[in-house]
Amino acid sequence: MLGEERQTLCQALAEAIREASRAGQLVGRDELLANLREHSLLDPDEPDIPDVEPLLAETLATHQDLAAMASISGQTLYHSPSLLSRTYASILDRKGSPVVLMAEEVRRNSSEYPRPVPLDLFEHPPFDLTPEQIDSSLKTIAENPEFQDISYTTTSTGAVYLFSTRYLERLYAAFLAERADVGLLLNP
Amino acid sequence: MAATNGGFSGKVLRVDLSTGKISLDDTVEKYLEVLGGTGIGYKVLWEEVPAGTGPFDATNKIVFATGVLAGTGVPCNGRTAVTTLFPSCWPKPLVASGHMGGHFAAKLKYAGYDAIIVEGKADKPVWLFIRDGRVEIRDARHLWGTGIRRTTLEISQEMGPDCVVAAIGQAGENLVPLSVVMNSVSHSAGGVGAVMGAKNLKAIGVQGSGSVRIAGDKSEWERLVKFHLSILGGNNQHVVPSFPHPQSEYYNPNSRWVGAPGKRWGAADPPVEINGGLYDLNRIAFRANSGAFYLGDQAWQHTVRGNGCTGCPIRCHTILKVPSVAAKYGIREVAQNTCGGLVFGRSFFKHLSGGHKGHAALEACMVGMHMADDLGVWCNYGQLQRDLIKLYYDGILRAKIGSEEYASFPWDKYENGDPAFLFEIIPRIAMRQGELGQALGLGSGGLLARWSIPEEAWTQDFACAYWKLGHPKHHANEDDGQCGVIINTQYNRDSQCHSHVNFIRNGLPLAVQKELAAEIWGSPDAVDGVGDYTPMNIHKARRARWSLVRKELHDSLGLCNWMGPWVASPLKERGYLGDDSLESKFYGLATGQQISREELDRIGERIFVLHRALTIRDMGEKDMRTRHDLAPQWIYQDPNGAQPFTKGTLRMDPQDIAKAMDMFYEVMGWDKATGVPTAEAYARLGLESVAQGLAAKKLAPEAK
Repeated sequence: MLGEERQTLCQALAEAIREASRAGQLVGRDELLANLREHSLLDPDEPDIPDVEPLLAETLATHQDLAAMASISGQTLYHSPSLLSRTYASILDRKGSPVVLMAEEVRRNSSEYPRPVPLDLFEHPPFDLTPEQIDSSLKTIAENPEFQDISYTTTSTGAVYLFSTRYLERLYAAFLAERADVGLLLNP
Repeated sequence: MAATNGGFSGKVLRVDLSTGKISLDDTVEKYLEVLGGTGIGYKVLWEEVPAGTGPFDATNKIVFATGVLAGTGVPCNGRTAVTTLFPSCWPKPLVASGHMGGHFAAKLKYAGYDAIIVEGKADKPVWLFIRDGRVEIRDARHLWGTGIRRTTLEISQEMGPDCVVAAIGQAGENLVPLSVVMNSVSHSAGGVGAVMGAKNLKAIGVQGSGSVRIAGDKSEWERLVKFHLSILGGNNQHVVPSFPHPQSEYYNPNSRWVGAPGKRWGAADPPVEINGGLYDLNRIAFRANSGAFYLGDQAWQHTVRGNGCTGCPIRCHTILKVPSVAAKYGIREVAQNTCGGLVFGRSFFKHLSGGHKGHAALEACMVGMHMADDLGVWCNYGQLQRDLIKLYYDGILRAKIGSEEYASFPWDKYENGDPAFLFEIIPRIAMRQGELGQALGLGSGGLLARWSIPEEAWTQDFACAYWKLGHPKHHANEDDGQCGVIINTQYNRDSQCHSHVNFIRNGLPLAVQKELAAEIWGSPDAVDGVGDYTPMNIHKARRARWSLVRKELHDSLGLCNWMGPWVASPLKERGYLGDDSLESKFYGLATGQQISREELDRIGERIFVLHRALTIRDMGEKDMRTRHDLAPQWIYQDPNGAQPFTKGTLRMDPQDIAKAMDMFYEVMGWDKATGVPTAEAYARLGLESVAQGLAAKKLAPEAK
């Protein structure tokens, strides 16, 4: 493949990734190839192009507003973080697996900010889990050793907050939950 | 600095209600060194109101002052500082200020005035008519006894629809220390209503047809305003939304940036849907909804829109429409306010059906706004309500007010969280009816003294949140460890400082906050995680100093310290950094007199130190460290016995706080032993005459 041709493909791939991010979607290798075919940049009869992975790597290297992430499905997904942030992208990626979605979001909040998160967070967009899904996920989390670090604390109003014991001590999590649920509202 | 012909309106109006004399001062000539706002207020009190004056004496003065940036296009510019001797300050009235937003500041400047100094006492109720150069003291006997709404309506009918009215209600007339002056329906300055009442001044009506001249380059001004808008967050400069969003890397469920796509102002006709990009500059008003923040999702369906101050895109005064309260309580179905004003009614109750975000809470808020914003009662930053809760649930009340009066209150409604209880309690405070109404209206200090309750009963109770001098904490160690404690020791009412807490609560991860702290204050150690406090260090002392200086600067420039400073931003491409020099850039462009950030901060410090000097003089006390800069005992306690500096406690260590005060005095250039500014500190700020005045009274530290 000629250098000019590679450059054209990289540019098209970058635009396709950005377009998907603008629409709030992550995009994988197969969708990107389909996009190139739709735009007649690839021979529709050719099943694949041999050097697509290096081509995607080159696209990321030459378009620094783009990023790749490892999906929970195992495949690599692409997005433009300025249009579809890394945080939001990871939430979208995990939406098909409520258990992982909840556990990983709890871990992220506990490690990054750090803070526990209110259970009802998961009922709202972009999580949009039903109460039944949340209940079922909590049961799975409680029974699965893989998620043994996910714990909860209850505030004085009865609100449940989740946290990860990997990153937050229980007493500190309880303090932060009480502050979030009651303290801040009573302390305008 | 040289004289300036931009930003300032140019005149300070002086009204003597005893003689009827109306005169003018030149703002720049007389007050440039203190900018405006609290700066003018403190200077007037220092020079013209002698120590020993009582708040209700005719010799006390009340100063309504805006600032250079009020009435311009600078975001968040609608502030008026109202400075006087505070009647709620206990055991001795001292200087303090209330701060109101709304449109009063802009109108005053458009009329040609940067400030109004009111002195003397009228022999009958009056109101002040201001229409550009025409100023008259008018008869207000027909308004006396009416609420703020009726007063505003009557004066508006007399002046015309484009006026702004700042009025007191019955609470101010009745000299209730916990009373407000209010303009533009819901924008109040707390603690000063009774000082107006004592002067028989019912209201000030202002109409202005002028404008504020911007002296600097207009395109640069426009560029800077656009830049400022771009680094705005939501209410209180929370720079991340409360919900995950494709355009934001971070979110915080406790952020006041609550306007998520798809939410609706459900009581607008037709309803308005929150749409557009997260950072659209013409959609900033979608971000705040104080109703939803305090009352949860139920508030969206009752939201008409956000209202707010001149030049402020945040619109934190949420207009709520709740038809059920009209049918149920016979009150207006529409009310608006923010923060403590919004939750005025709810805060009286320890228990509410459905909790603090239930429908009873919403109704309590509506009833509270209906009454307090008309009668003009001040909540003392929630201390009024906490006082009642403590008195009642600690079993103190019955003995203090007697059986007959006690039986006159429907305590079952109080315990059950029935908003109807508010119809019994709030008017009695405003009208000084009965022992309880009178006592509560005095503020905590007056109440404790009247009922011979030791102050320790309040200072040892964390839930009571009482701090000192009759007033509560305002973002102390519960938000910001030693930095919050230092700030709360400095004022004569609640500190009202948001420079520090707006950063702490901005919603960014702690690691990002520390990166910003390193850039702004020189070290990541200037900031701790909340409840994960480390021992005191000099960087925290510097941040406390910066916070106080910026508060006074904002209060003197006409800017809102509830929104600023803007040192963090939502912008990932800036590493979430805001701009620490916005104030000086705007000042330079508005006035045409360039000034560095450091120079402007020095003026802010001058204003702050003038407040300090006034406090020293009026207390007659030079040991400020042990007599004024106090913290309550509850900061040294933990309900579970946790030790200071362990995760999850707000408990402070007495030795560490002593060290914190040492460091703070050091960075201020004050005497460590007494906490009073040294002669060098006064001289550095151009306050030599102030130092001499204090030295003559033996209120300056000994020369070394």
